[in-house]
Amino acid sequence: MKGEGEIFVVHRLLDEQICDSDGRRVGRVDDVEIRGNPPRVTALLVGDGLYPRRLPRRLARLARRISGPERWGQNALRIPWEEVDGLSSTVKLRKKAEELGLGMGDDPERWIVRRLPWN
Amino acid sequence: MRAILKIALGIIAAIGGFLDIGDLVFTTQAGALFRYDLLWAVVLGVIGIAVYAEMSGRVAAVSGRPVFDVIRMRTGFGMGLLALVASTFVNLLTLAAELGGIAIVLELLFDAPYSMFVFAGAIALVGIVALLPFGGIERVFGYGGLLLFVVVATVFHQNPDWGDVAHGFVPTLDSSTLYLYFVVGVFAAALMPYEVHFYSSGAIEEGWTEQNLKENRLNAILGYGIGGILSVGLVIVSGYLFHPIGVEPSDLGTVALPMQGAFGETGLLLALAGMLFCVGGAAVDSSFAASYNLAQFLGWEWGRYQGPKKAPRFTASWLVFLLLGIAIAESGINPVEITEYSVVFSVVALPLTYLPVLLIAGDRSFMSDYANGRIATFLGWLYFAVIVVLALAAIPLLLATNAGGG
Repeated sequence: MKGEGEIFVVHRLLDEQICDSDGRRVGRVDDVEIRGNPPRVTALLVGDGLYPRRLPRRLARLARRISGPERWGQNALRIPWEEVDGLSSTVKLRKKAEELGLGMGDDPERWIVRRLPWN
Repeated sequence: MRAILKIALGIIAAIGGFLDIGDLVFTTQAGALFRYDLLWAVVLGVIGIAVYAEMSGRVAAVSGRPVFDVIRMRTGFGMGLLALVASTFVNLLTLAAELGGIAIVLELLFDAPYSMFVFAGAIALVGIVALLPFGGIERVFGYGGLLLFVVVATVFHQNPDWGDVAHGFVPTLDSSTLYLYFVVGVFAAALMPYEVHFYSSGAIEEGWTEQNLKENRLNAILGYGIGGILSVGLVIVSGYLFHPIGVEPSDLGTVALPMQGAFGETGLLLALAGMLFCVGGAAVDSSFAASYNLAQFLGWEWGRYQGPKKAPRFTASWLVFLLLGIAIAESGINPVEITEYSVVFSVVALPLTYLPVLLIAGDRSFMSDYANGRIATFLGWLYFAVIVVLALAAIPLLLATNAGGG
């Protein structure tokens, strides 16, 4: 049976833009963890390691070969639901991206970002 | 008063920024081959881009979502990725065509080889984008593009048989595949997807909210509408001059010849300079569109307003797309040919980006009171039907006519 919440999860939560407490764009809701009975959203899952599971089976196999397996804490992050501040046109988090391990691709401390000509 | 002036300046920039190399090539060829018979297709395309731009601008202003945000939300990761790959492919082809166009115009204005000017043009673009804020970039190219109003002056100077011109606005379907190919081309050139990717992201760059909806509507209707007059003018001047003598324009320089015929050296220079700004602006728009789409789809920080330090991946991807565009433009393929392919493939990719915008614009849970009304819903679905038909017809026509080569 489909509950109201489940429809909401796909309509308004999955694939939504995530912003941290400073308003920085730090990723998208690539998957959602749902647990318990009655089922509740317990975490947002974020990271490019999760992309293969969003693709049709044949493409997923190819994508996994390119991106490698899901490595939790690296290319796949779990953001507990308690860290979510609210939903508007984005998912707003309570903390800064660094504290949750998000937004590393735009992190000025990362060597590849540090080597860009304008940094 | 200041607010009105600001809106007026925005509209004027939209007018001048309407044309790109696809419009220049397809309207001039359409005029040469079919005289005024395809004017109705130009009008059809202009209304289409106004409808779609207004909708995407409204969605961006009200819900804070640019086009690829909407696409990922509505179609999910898999279909969204398909839309991203298709859009990036056509945006890159378009960028290459515009860079090639810049080089051709520079080659005509100054005497030096084409390949050198591809680099020179691209470096100039990087300089302009690096130095000016977002609004400034739009305006430099938009105002410069207004020089092309010399086309409208040329129409009145030629003083064609106005009855014949009026007749061209009545839709006629000729069964020849070449004619149908140009219907698709003229329509698609007006409705290039990068324009809407750029326009909706620009609304976020400039911090639009519900307060800007009037500005959005005026920009879309007046900006694109008056901009469309330039396309109409290009068909007429080409039809008047080239059709009777059977010239088939195959290079970009031909586009400017009617203006030289009417006003001599001055006409030629105005036309070439106007073309340079139009094509340069479109190169900026299409390269930004490619980076906007990628960043929005993946959830990266993005925007010229953030600056390169806050949005390093967005900025780096823009430079990579520019380099890829240069590589295609330098590959030795004729830019006019790249243009034709970019325009025709665009219409194939268009339904993938058009449908999600149409769905969200009509969704009250996203748009509350600003959702599509009756007119926008009707026009939106009507144009979606037209786009799907043309998308299905585009590739067979491209092959059947050997890309318009007959």
